[in-house]
Amino acid sequence: MKRYLSMAVVLAAVCLSGSDYLINLAVIVGLYSLPALGLALLWGYTGQISLGHAAFYGLGAYGSALLSMRLGISPWLSILLAMAMVGVICKGIGWLVFRLHGHLLAMATLGMGIIVHIGLVEMHWLTGGPNGLTGVPPLSFFGWELISSTQVLPFIWLVCLAALYCSENLIRSGMGLAIRTVGESEMAAASLGVNVPGLKQAILVLSGLFAAASGALYAHYIGYLSPGPFDVGFSIKLLLMVAIGGFAQIWGVVFGVLFVTILGELLKPLGGYDIVVFGALLVCVILYCPNGLLQLAMRMPFKKTLAARGGES
Amino acid sequence: MQELLQYALSGLVTGSIYGLIGVGFVAIYNATGIINFAQGDFAILGAMLAISLVSVAGLPLWLAILLAIALVGLIAGAIERFAIRPAGNNVIRGIVITIGVGIVLQGSMAVIWGTDAFPLPSFSGDAPIRLGGATLPSQAVWILGIAAAVMVALNLFYRYSYLGKLFRASSINPFAAKLIGVRTNTMSSMSFVLSGSLGALAGIIVAPIALTQYNGGLSLGIKGFVACIIGGIGNPVGVAVGGLLLGVLEAFSTGLLSSGYKDAIAFVLLLAFLFFRPEGLFGALKSGRR
Repeated sequence: MKRYLSMAVVLAAVCLSGSDYLINLAVIVGLYSLPALGLALLWGYTGQISLGHAAFYGLGAYGSALLSMRLGISPWLSILLAMAMVGVICKGIGWLVFRLHGHLLAMATLGMGIIVHIGLVEMHWLTGGPNGLTGVPPLSFFGWELISSTQVLPFIWLVCLAALYCSENLIRSGMGLAIRTVGESEMAAASLGVNVPGLKQAILVLSGLFAAASGALYAHYIGYLSPGPFDVGFSIKLLLMVAIGGFAQIWGVVFGVLFVTILGELLKPLGGYDIVVFGALLVCVILYCPNGLLQLAMRMPFKKTLAARGGES
Repeated sequence: MQELLQYALSGLVTGSIYGLIGVGFVAIYNATGIINFAQGDFAILGAMLAISLVSVAGLPLWLAILLAIALVGLIAGAIERFAIRPAGNNVIRGIVITIGVGIVLQGSMAVIWGTDAFPLPSFSGDAPIRLGGATLPSQAVWILGIAAAVMVALNLFYRYSYLGKLFRASSINPFAAKLIGVRTNTMSSMSFVLSGSLGALAGIIVAPIALTQYNGGLSLGIKGFVACIIGGIGNPVGVAVGGLLLGVLEAFSTGLLSSGYKDAIAFVLLLAFLFFRPEGLFGALKSGRR
């Protein structure tokens, strides 16, 4: 609970600071935390690789934008409808792909992500093609339109904190134990009576719901959509965020997202070098700190105090 | 009718490139059990190096090509030594590391060569060849010939040479291979050098008929992987056939449907094979699926 309160305090402070830069940063971190959290549940806890998460994010964004624009329904309703749609799609995809393992699963999800991206670019009549969609209606709250980042921030973080809370509960629950068992050994889980395929599909659906919610919120916040942000690059960025967060750590994800977002900002003046740094960082994190950067940072002072104590006694 | 012949021929040409990229995957997979997601970037890197060696350093074409192939082989070997070997035998970690390596390669190429696309001069003049109403660039003959020669050589190598058998042994059971004195680490290094060189060769021979751009690696790599899946990963001949099949299907769909969906064809094939026939058309060498 402490973490949620301190997070709320930090966010309130950010809002009150009135700094556009900080507020935008907080909104982006909130938006990216949702799909990254979904990926952490799927990859870190359930042990299933996915290189196509940008697709669910994109389908949520385009789905909600198109529903609200074409049918004229309230964005709140269209977000829920888009999430439901992505949930159903995830169930189907899960039924298909989870018979694969390792690199075959990785390639299949990568292929799925690229097919969705090609669809977004090519289906001009629906998505506007590479030019994208303009005039996505903003969210409104009792007739009060949420346009600026300051107005959107509380809603995005409310969703995000709720998702964090649900994920933490899920992992601690009995089902969470089953999930982690599947992550360790599918054979062991199946021998204990866990419905392995069903569980994997359920986590993929949850993960897709998180991504779709984030994509839909993004669409109504930005008001303009193009296929660019939903390509494979984003899936890999999510992977980097989850890896930095330590794969199987709920709050580590938020740290990973914050770290990658701030690093991206710092590297902007370097131009094309940022992608090189991201790639190298991904390799180094996987090789040298498989439990995340945070774990590495926490371990060091702890070791030092141990050494100091040892010296005293 | 003429158009159909044209589609089939150009499909065979692109298909043999996919096949060459595919055997690059096979080389690494057969020795280490890892799928190298940076395979396509090796091809682009090879082409970029060859182009620079010709246009900037002014070397003759054949020397530039040999140097570029050797350089990419060396780089691939270094990648194996410093990024892949420390990761141990974990497939998922291996995959993520090769993804990271691919990003680094692609980003470095964007920084060094910029985002423009570059051409490489054709190996033997620009006069096109006419074949029963279809027209092919003369480079197409080079591509088909080199690809066929490489495939045959590789197949003989894996089947009959002592070194080739060592490669397969360390893939099927690394522990048993170690016990009988195979240096699996050396095998792994050599497979990356071989695979990097094959990738570079594929990128270079296709460079005269397709512009080379820093970000072409991902889609090229995936097409090569699709060729592997169609043919059954582990078997170079199967992969060659898979590549040709993919190339021809792509050419027909581009000609008869729409060019925008060309890339989607590869993925639809990939998914169809993964779900319904994951062992490929010809089955694998039954190499250790880890």
